[in-house]
Amino acid sequence: MEVSLTAAPARLALMPGGPATDVFAYNGSVPGPTLVVREGDRVIIHFHNGLSEPTTIHWHGVHLPADADGSPLYAIAPGASHDYVFTIGAGTAGTYWYHPHPDGRSGYQITKGLYGAIIVRDPHDPLPATLTEKLLVLSDNRFHPDGSLDLPDPDSPAGRVDMENGREGDVLLVNGQVMPTLTIRAGEVQRWRIVNASAARVYRLTIPSQTFLHVGNDGGLFERPVELSEIVLANSERVELLVRGSGAPGSQATLQTLAYDRYIPQTRPADWNRTRDVLTLRTATTPPLAPVTLPARLRIVPPLDTARAVATRVISLGQGLINGKTMDMTRVDVSARLGTTEIWEIENLVGMDHPFHLHGFHFQVLDRNGVPVPYRSWKDTINVPRHETVRFIVAFDDYPGKWMFHCHILTHEDEGMMGILELK
Amino acid sequence: MTRWLRLTSAGAVSVVVVLSVAAFAAAPARGRGTVPAAADTVLRGRFLVISHACGDCHGGANNPAATGWLVGMTTPQQEFKIGPCAAAPQDVCFKTRPRNLTPDNLTGLGRFSERQIFNALRYGLRPGETPDVEITSGTPGQGNFPAHPKYLAPPMPWPSWRHMPDADLWAIAAYLKRGLKPVKNKVEDSEGPPDFWASEYTDAKIGTYPAPAFPTAMENR
Repeated sequence: MEVSLTAAPARLALMPGGPATDVFAYNGSVPGPTLVVREGDRVIIHFHNGLSEPTTIHWHGVHLPADADGSPLYAIAPGASHDYVFTIGAGTAGTYWYHPHPDGRSGYQITKGLYGAIIVRDPHDPLPATLTEKLLVLSDNRFHPDGSLDLPDPDSPAGRVDMENGREGDVLLVNGQVMPTLTIRAGEVQRWRIVNASAARVYRLTIPSQTFLHVGNDGGLFERPVELSEIVLANSERVELLVRGSGAPGSQATLQTLAYDRYIPQTRPADWNRTRDVLTLRTATTPPLAPVTLPARLRIVPPLDTARAVATRVISLGQGLINGKTMDMTRVDVSARLGTTEIWEIENLVGMDHPFHLHGFHFQVLDRNGVPVPYRSWKDTINVPRHETVRFIVAFDDYPGKWMFHCHILTHEDEGMMGILELK
Repeated sequence: MTRWLRLTSAGAVSVVVVLSVAAFAAAPARGRGTVPAAADTVLRGRFLVISHACGDCHGGANNPAATGWLVGMTTPQQEFKIGPCAAAPQDVCFKTRPRNLTPDNLTGLGRFSERQIFNALRYGLRPGETPDVEITSGTPGQGNFPAHPKYLAPPMPWPSWRHMPDADLWAIAAYLKRGLKPVKNKVEDSEGPPDFWASEYTDAKIGTYPAPAFPTAMENR
């Protein structure tokens, strides 16, 4: 798989009927093009930085060599080009995304429009190939009346609130569109891949009066589907859902995001508890479809063996801090040996949620506050709610080098809520 | 906004400051120029914690044997209300809550360093949001003092207690970290303005640290 990607300024209409917005775009679109690859593919991305500032592309969740990870250690200068080359691992079929990760500027560049989805396909996907697939890349933004992005001075009161909460927007975007309409047939089952590409907004998604099947997370499918009526999707998390057309032909439903309190009281927005509409789900007038049969077991997710863990690391999250420190690109915070398995205990010491992302490696969450998680899955980002602890197990099976771990609220990350793991 | 925390501290920099709070005993002799042993530091910290009424808000009153000693808020009555909470509920009203000072990792001070606790007492900086570094300036953006300081919520009287000598603040930190058993007690975050009280804690309102040279116009030599 060989593609060219260019990050460059562009002017696009993001607000329906509103004035155009000066954005940054991959290949001229927001979101950027969806990269569809297969397990085992060798991927070559010819990247050109058409911006006037350094950037990188981080292939969020993809297991690849450290120098292809697009971390802040490997900045691409303005006007420069770089080939990202990596091979998609077996068993990693799932939904991923790509975005810039330069030192201190990730939030700005992603907010300006640099983000896109990656779909890794399994040649033996257990779900019926007949399912219609939809990709929903969720984002949000704030605009001035003239169409320009509302990016307050970081030293202003509004900028300080953005710094604290992460920057949330009042305009919710699905694949760059406001309140799009998806169509489903009565009885039809669709496979939705959802990416939270928002800088800070946590979605609590629901379709009133119907349930859905949660079949996959960041790193692909579960062993068995789980039926839910709502799902929380923190920053950078991905889910795969099976949604059934349960309305009468011609009827409409709404995918909504419910209130989710992730805030400290000092900066909690006044309208934090407002339910927001995300998209319209219209049931087609065509005749209903017959039910599909799903396999009882989707795949095997082999458990990582806790008895093999050679270390337990405590990672304490403060506000803007990891283990009491801010990011230093020249410092190694955690040294681990290649080929070992470790347990990481992520403690959130403060009064707001922090979604924690480890680059390069998928992990399995063991428990939350000592309570085992109900089902096993592969994750690369996990929300750690206020004053809670999440433990996960990770196998550093491959790829030496330096790897970032950080809070995925972009303002926090840019302010230094990040550390470096070195594998030798 | 409460005013009782605006205690006026008197005395020159190198002189023990007199505080107008509960039972404050004269500082004991500071040793003979030697660094106290660790156990002495913890005991010194214990004395300072009792005599500075920490337990009046943080639990256990003046009694280190009390259940709930320094575990933070356990009943809503311990909330401190700032603003016209009852009279005019439509106006701004903040509820601030005494935190768990025991060394529990998740709900107390267990994961904060003694230096972060020192920085909280000397500069009023929230330990969960202030890097574990030595601060050498009181000016935002200089000497590791945060450009946008986030202060402990009132009524924590750090503007007064910051005038204690370094060794005393370190001793309090040592007692909290090493002299207490960890107790798990999760206290909800205090409410407050989005500037984390920065506009309240200006030199004009709380005086300077160190205090101005003695005598000021208000004082006699």
